[in-house]
Amino acid sequence: MSRRAVELRLLGWPVALAATGGLAVALADAGAPDLSTVAIPLAVAGTGLALHLALRLSGSRADAVLLPLALALVAIGLVLVRRLAPGLLPLQLAWLAVGAAAFAAALVVPRDLGALARYPYTWALAGLALLLSPLLPVIGREVYGTRIWVRLGIGSFQPSEAAKLALVIFFAAYLAEHRELIARAPRRIGPLPVPPLAYLAPILVMWAVAMLVLVAERDLGATLLVFGGFLALLWLATGELAYVAAGLALLAAGGAAAVALFPHVAARVEIWQRPFADDLRFGASYQLVQGLFALAGGGLFGAGLGGGMPERIPVVWSDFVFDAFAEEAGFAGVLALLAVFLLLAHRGLAIALRAPTAFLQLLAGGLAASLALQTLVIVGGNAALVPLTGITLPFVAYGGSSLVANFVLLALLLRVSDESARARVR
Amino acid sequence: MEGAFTVALWAVRLAFLALLYGFLARAFVALQGALAAERAQAARPAGIADLVARSAERYPLRAVSSLGRDPGCDVVLRDDAASSRHALLTFDTGEWWVEDLESRNGTLVNGAVVRGRARLAYGDVLTIGRTELRLEHPAKP
Amino acid sequence: MNRTAVGDNIRALALALIALFLLTSVGVGRRMLLSPELANDPQDPRVAAVVFDRARGPVLARDGTVLAQGRPRQYAEPSLAQVVGYASAAYGAAGIELAYGAALVGQDSTDPLAVLRVRFLGARAPPGSVTLGIDPATQRAAAAALAGRTGAVVALDPRTGQILASVSLPAPDTRALADPARAATAWAAMATGADSRPLLDRAAQGLYAPGSIFKIVTAVAALEAGVLDPTAKVRVDDPFQADPSWGAYAVRSSSAAHGDFDLSLAMARSENIYFAKAALATGGARLAETAARLGIGRAPALDLPASRGQLSRSGTLDRPTLVADTGFGQGELLVSPLQMALVAAAVANGGVQMDPHHAIAVRDGGGNALAAPDGGPGRRVMSADVARILTRALVDAVEAPGAFAAGARVGGLRVAGKTGTAENPSGAAHGWFVGFAPADAPTVAVAVVLEHAPRGGEDAAPIGAAVLRAAVGRAR
Repeated sequence: MSRRAVELRLLGWPVALAATGGLAVALADAGAPDLSTVAIPLAVAGTGLALHLALRLSGSRADAVLLPLALALVAIGLVLVRRLAPGLLPLQLAWLAVGAAAFAAALVVPRDLGALARYPYTWALAGLALLLSPLLPVIGREVYGTRIWVRLGIGSFQPSEAAKLALVIFFAAYLAEHRELIARAPRRIGPLPVPPLAYLAPILVMWAVAMLVLVAERDLGATLLVFGGFLALLWLATGELAYVAAGLALLAAGGAAAVALFPHVAARVEIWQRPFADDLRFGASYQLVQGLFALAGGGLFGAGLGGGMPERIPVVWSDFVFDAFAEEAGFAGVLALLAVFLLLAHRGLAIALRAPTAFLQLLAGGLAASLALQTLVIVGGNAALVPLTGITLPFVAYGGSSLVANFVLLALLLRVSDESARARVR
Repeated sequence: MEGAFTVALWAVRLAFLALLYGFLARAFVALQGALAAERAQAARPAGIADLVARSAERYPLRAVSSLGRDPGCDVVLRDDAASSRHALLTFDTGEWWVEDLESRNGTLVNGAVVRGRARLAYGDVLTIGRTELRLEHPAKP
Repeated sequence: MNRTAVGDNIRALALALIALFLLTSVGVGRRMLLSPELANDPQDPRVAAVVFDRARGPVLARDGTVLAQGRPRQYAEPSLAQVVGYASAAYGAAGIELAYGAALVGQDSTDPLAVLRVRFLGARAPPGSVTLGIDPATQRAAAAALAGRTGAVVALDPRTGQILASVSLPAPDTRALADPARAATAWAAMATGADSRPLLDRAAQGLYAPGSIFKIVTAVAALEAGVLDPTAKVRVDDPFQADPSWGAYAVRSSSAAHGDFDLSLAMARSENIYFAKAALATGGARLAETAARLGIGRAPALDLPASRGQLSRSGTLDRPTLVADTGFGQGELLVSPLQMALVAAAVANGGVQMDPHHAIAVRDGGGNALAAPDGGPGRRVMSADVARILTRALVDAVEAPGAFAAGARVGGLRVAGKTGTAENPSGAAHGWFVGFAPADAPTVAVAVVLEHAPRGGEDAAPIGAAVLRAAVGRAR
């Protein structure tokens, strides 16, 4: 069976998920199904069919499982938005349409994927500009003490999501371009490899940027994502564990310095370390404490969709969807959700493995790694395993910027997959 | 009445969880299938040349390859119009030759009927029954 | 870098990601499945909802009068605010509403099948009810008598330990707490009232120096030790210093007396020196042991929180000055009205002390009786003879001419009792009264404490009288 046919058959599952989830939530909320019970599965089906058609029309031979996996996440996300913030559902559906359009556009632009590698520094500048744009006076906005939002007339969005894409493209292009240097064995001081300047320079620059973002925007999330993605690509390109270790050490050192020097960073770490302290639990760490209560209230099978009390968590629909899902679907649901993300990331890495050129390998690998990293960081933050950040769960959480950026990410992965399939036949 | 509603609600909730796990299983199976197909393709021995069908499927050729419907052929064609042993392809002193094996519907090269043996060049289209195959250089692994 | 090297790195990264996802799953799983302290945190709205957002059964007085019922909760008797308590999802719970909360919302079975039934079918046990030993007439009399003052009254039946009345003023406005419109302001007022502390149940939890009412304990100890003859006359000269090593410390007589006192007179005139001598004769160890036996320094076995107080800071009476000082009720003593009522009750009940309890019956939704506290088998804390001697002395303490506790007299009733005035280092003295009636066959023992009482025990005695009168007159 051709890949598109497999994909079409798999698309039924996310629609079924959307239907049962939406029904459960509506029943629990109002005792009877309502408009959303129909709108949500229709939206998932519509998006699925539209994107499937787009793939067919572009003659794609790409992997069949990626799109259904992502749509399953979207389905869960829509159900959760209906559950937690029903007033925001129409907006999220609108963003879904935008994301689908962005996906379709990314399928054809640029015609040659390799062209992305030709202007690495353009991507770098774009990424940095996006990353630092919330610091600008007029359009940047401060929300809950962090500067990660930008308001532009029609609405607000989080440029860090798009920045992460631009920077992954840049890193992949840069590292692919300098691969001859990698072939040469690095100079060593004792057992430790000293990276050639071509590596040292960007490591230090990236570290500086990450620190700047951390301190100026007070956002741990963008820092972790960008720097983490960078380290992942560094590993993929070089295979030198020492470089990665050095990068992590730099991050840790910088983080520790930031904690010591900047109270708002220290506050974030303190909230993470002792959320139940009497002086914090009704103030700064209230959100995290409520999130942890929701986790504990989930148990194995959850309180049932619509049966828990996740609405007690402030801003639950974007920052703490994971905890809300955990409370209502239980650990059984959590394992399944994490499995979907893992499968998605894994498939992305498999696509990277089979990519025909070095750049495409790095591109796909970087995209998959950054998706996985984002998931791990947000889940960890929700469960107080790591400090909480401002980024959101891909495809699931409410938020337009994240949805659109991740659909573009998906499209890029599928294009690389398509390239590999074609190359084999050529 | 309330009891019935609660039961129904829980049935829907558990159905949601079941569907999630079902989807995971199905996706995993699909991935395993894709993996197996890729391995099979990688495991297929490289031939000296390939016959490429319209569906982009490639059949590697050895020095002597039989074509036909019979599963014992080197190149098995799922085509009712093909005979069980339809034709023979040989590579001889740098050139490819196709020989029709008394097939019912005949063998064509670039549209021309083959009587006995005919030379086959790279790029030529071989027609067996209703299947069109082009002779190409082997694909790089 | 060639493509296969990158491929190896990709494979390694894939493995690392699997490991990270596994670690994260374990971390999340621990929070979700293995954190009981998280799942049962009282601030968790889910925990509160299990108990507080369900239908609640009534809390009743002994004659069936409804004290608390309905949702939103209606509280009929404001003077029982601390005892009956409150239950609120926002502010937690207290009192009987907390202690018997499980029965009041419908005792949930722990049978796994029932748990599943509750979860998936929504079937819950119907709410039950709790009956308290409170006698409405006695309660009202106590509340009226104490009205406008700060202090506590507790009255109990010495034969059973059932508490007939309990008043602690100032009392919180629990009716406002149950009203969502007024709850926030009411809570703010209650929680921050620095001096008044209305949420405190002074009857069981308030701790004060007992003053002269402790002389009952001293008398019991001395009688049991055999060092005191109740009818013997003891010379009292004010001031009294047993030994020059006492330095500047001396015991001052309550009435600057110079004369002979027997037990009855000493009780009637609350003579400090008499009892200081008795305490010294008994010795610190024996006095401490008797006090402990009578319940001083031990929290009573009440079904609501009760303070334990102390005999002294160290728990022992190791210095003669401390022994003497403790003997007449000062020293480092801290007692609650409930503890002193229990002492009086022991004397009243022939030397057998019952455990105090508020709830006398707890029922489930079907009306079936659940386990409720009773007075226990009773503890013999003094011999019947000692009890008899003390009863006579305490009757004299009320009825004798010039008795300090004369304010406790009730027409037609033989009242036994003792007043006390406790020095309060931070302000006006506290006034005490403990007693029981009728002296021949007591059916009620009472303790009263008045904060900032200018005439000390003399202000407390009439309150005690009012309560005793109402209680003795109650239907059996």
